[in-house]
Amino acid sequence: MTTQARRTADTAGLGRRRFLQAGAGFGALTLTGGLAGRALAQTPALDMWWWGEQELPGLQAYLDKAIAAFDLAQITPMLQDTAVVISQFQTAAAAGNPPDIQYLWNGIYHMESVWLGYLAALSDVMDPGILAASNHGPLSRFDGKVWRMGWYPLPMPWYFNKDLFDRAGLNADAPPATWDGLLAACEALKTAGIEPFGGGVQDGYWAEWYLTHALSQNLDTVGDAVNLFIGDLDFREPRYHQHWVKLAELRDAGFLNKDMASLELYPGIDLCVNGQLGICSSIGTRLPADAITTNGRIGCMTLPVFGVGALAGRPVVDMQGLGISAGSGAPDIAARFLEFLNAPAQLASFWEATGWIPAASGFDDSVISDPSVRDLWTRWGKGNNITNITNLMPGQFYEQAAIPTGQNIITAGMSGEEAGELAARVAQEWRDFNPDLVETYRTWAAELSAG
Amino acid sequence: MRRNSPLVPYLFVLPLAGLLTFVFGLSLVRLVGFSFKQVRGIDGPWIGLRNYELVLGQPLFWEAVRHNIQLFLVIPVMVVIALALALLLYERLPGWRIHRTILFLPYVLAIPIIAVVMKQMFQFSGPVNTVLSALSLDFLVLDWIGSADVALWTVMGLILWRETALGVILFLSRLMALDETLIEAARLDGAGWRHRAWYILIPQMRGVIEFFAVISAITMLSAVFAYVYVIGGGRGGPGTATMVIELYIFNALIRTSLPGVAAAVSVMLFLVSLILIRALFALRRREEE
Repeated sequence: MTTQARRTADTAGLGRRRFLQAGAGFGALTLTGGLAGRALAQTPALDMWWWGEQELPGLQAYLDKAIAAFDLAQITPMLQDTAVVISQFQTAAAAGNPPDIQYLWNGIYHMESVWLGYLAALSDVMDPGILAASNHGPLSRFDGKVWRMGWYPLPMPWYFNKDLFDRAGLNADAPPATWDGLLAACEALKTAGIEPFGGGVQDGYWAEWYLTHALSQNLDTVGDAVNLFIGDLDFREPRYHQHWVKLAELRDAGFLNKDMASLELYPGIDLCVNGQLGICSSIGTRLPADAITTNGRIGCMTLPVFGVGALAGRPVVDMQGLGISAGSGAPDIAARFLEFLNAPAQLASFWEATGWIPAASGFDDSVISDPSVRDLWTRWGKGNNITNITNLMPGQFYEQAAIPTGQNIITAGMSGEEAGELAARVAQEWRDFNPDLVETYRTWAAELSAG
Repeated sequence: MRRNSPLVPYLFVLPLAGLLTFVFGLSLVRLVGFSFKQVRGIDGPWIGLRNYELVLGQPLFWEAVRHNIQLFLVIPVMVVIALALALLLYERLPGWRIHRTILFLPYVLAIPIIAVVMKQMFQFSGPVNTVLSALSLDFLVLDWIGSADVALWTVMGLILWRETALGVILFLSRLMALDETLIEAARLDGAGWRHRAWYILIPQMRGVIEFFAVISAITMLSAVFAYVYVIGGGRGGPGTATMVIELYIFNALIRTSLPGVAAAVSVMLFLVSLILIRALFALRRREEE
């Protein structure tokens, strides 16, 4: 019998009883499926837009596990491109279709969305104790509320290569702490045939990081940085462009690596790790890998002090975070998820997947076994740190002054005074272009200065 | 309506015209509208010509304009080189097929790929300077992408290398379409390569040369973003040495949250491009007459 013939015979043999049984079975299946579907439909669906895999490999794996373990909602994550983290969110929020949970960089990078009304105040929806323990930092506060949860910290040390210090006859256990000490160390390194100081400024980030460490040395409060942009303080005053004068001093002394202008940030850091550069600016998330590469011969220090401000010499720690859209349909569930990420088991899972430290105080840091990382975490993460003041810069100032000044000093012979002039002019332009934001910034500065 | 009515052809193109108006026309209207507003998010209050005033009063904008104008210097060089190469290929010198492929290759590759490779090549400690040093040409060892004095010239070199290929393609295809009997007659009359090129071939290529020059001008004005983005570290650097109008617009829109300003500059760029396109049509008309 052929297959076709068998099929015809079977169909013909389907009696009324079998037909009713099959119909009942089908109905039961439909009912069950419908109930299950309804149950699934009742589980809220949240969207989460995030970034960070680029600077913290393993974050995606961690997040996938966390989402799978969270049973109050179905969360759909979407990894964003660096260039559109802010604009994509703001456009979606303005169009009334934002994600429920959004990755947020520090300071102005999320505060602008607060002012536009796109973010919900986390202090209204999250457990206050958990939110405070997330170490969101001062730049997440505005109008007496907290708008962002801390997710993972970014200590910002200066690396020095201990082997090169040894070769130059310097004490690798006592890196320079003062500017004169730095100049002396650079001279010793140069004499030993080692390029002393620098990295890569071609993509601009080195200029930003230099400002982070150096401008803050002549500030008394974080709010002073905002006062420079709104015009209450002036970059043309020597105190507020001394950091650029000091950079020009390093250039004129021949202490900067000769290919600094054509190298990007991370290849510049690699020079120090690979033993070709004495001192460079870096980021803590690199340290676990760099410590292994150098067998622990990378040391961390703060930028040696030249300034007289209250913030001088203090370690810098930036903080990445998460927030909830004002347009979220389920802000309470989103808040539960953020709280869930701060549970001790999740913090341990974060460390396991990324090899890096989560922000929350509930993390058991006794698991950090590498002495270099432990030292960094003790002195930066748990020390008397300050936030990254470049996170207070309006985008226009960042693009048209913060980065060009550093690059022009290094590559085009610009003086520190000229850099101060340029910065003052761009700050004025920002005020002209954004008259509606100046008063909001002034309010923010007052809150930041008041602590 | 009668089939021979003068309106019939317009009815045929009406659907496409409607579609184009919908896709481009509405965007353009919205863009112009934005340029008169202080946009926050996706809309904002009307501020008249303020965005234009701010942009035209900003030194950075004029620096970007100067850089775009400097890029125009590439055009005559590009035309001459493309013309010379096309004429040589047309002569079918030995190995001309492989040379043609090599010349076309840069145009086939995506600009970011080329720019990234070139950026590696032209780093201060990169292969170009290493070779120059090895050849004892140390006076030519420059910080090609790191020096504010040199970076834009490096971008121009890269544009020249890639965009010349388009000229070669256009010129060669025009040459291939010429009537060979005239050229053969000149050859029999004893005209050498130089004379054939100057008196017979180039005069017949005038239209395509003008077309390439105008297209290149539009490119220099509004299609060099990928070059400067990669070579200038994504920011028109070092400093503002490679800032061009397109990057200015990108920064205003994406990095400084000023969509109104970005729209104002886009409108100005659009108008200048329109003038160039009008010039192209005028040239074509003159050619046809």
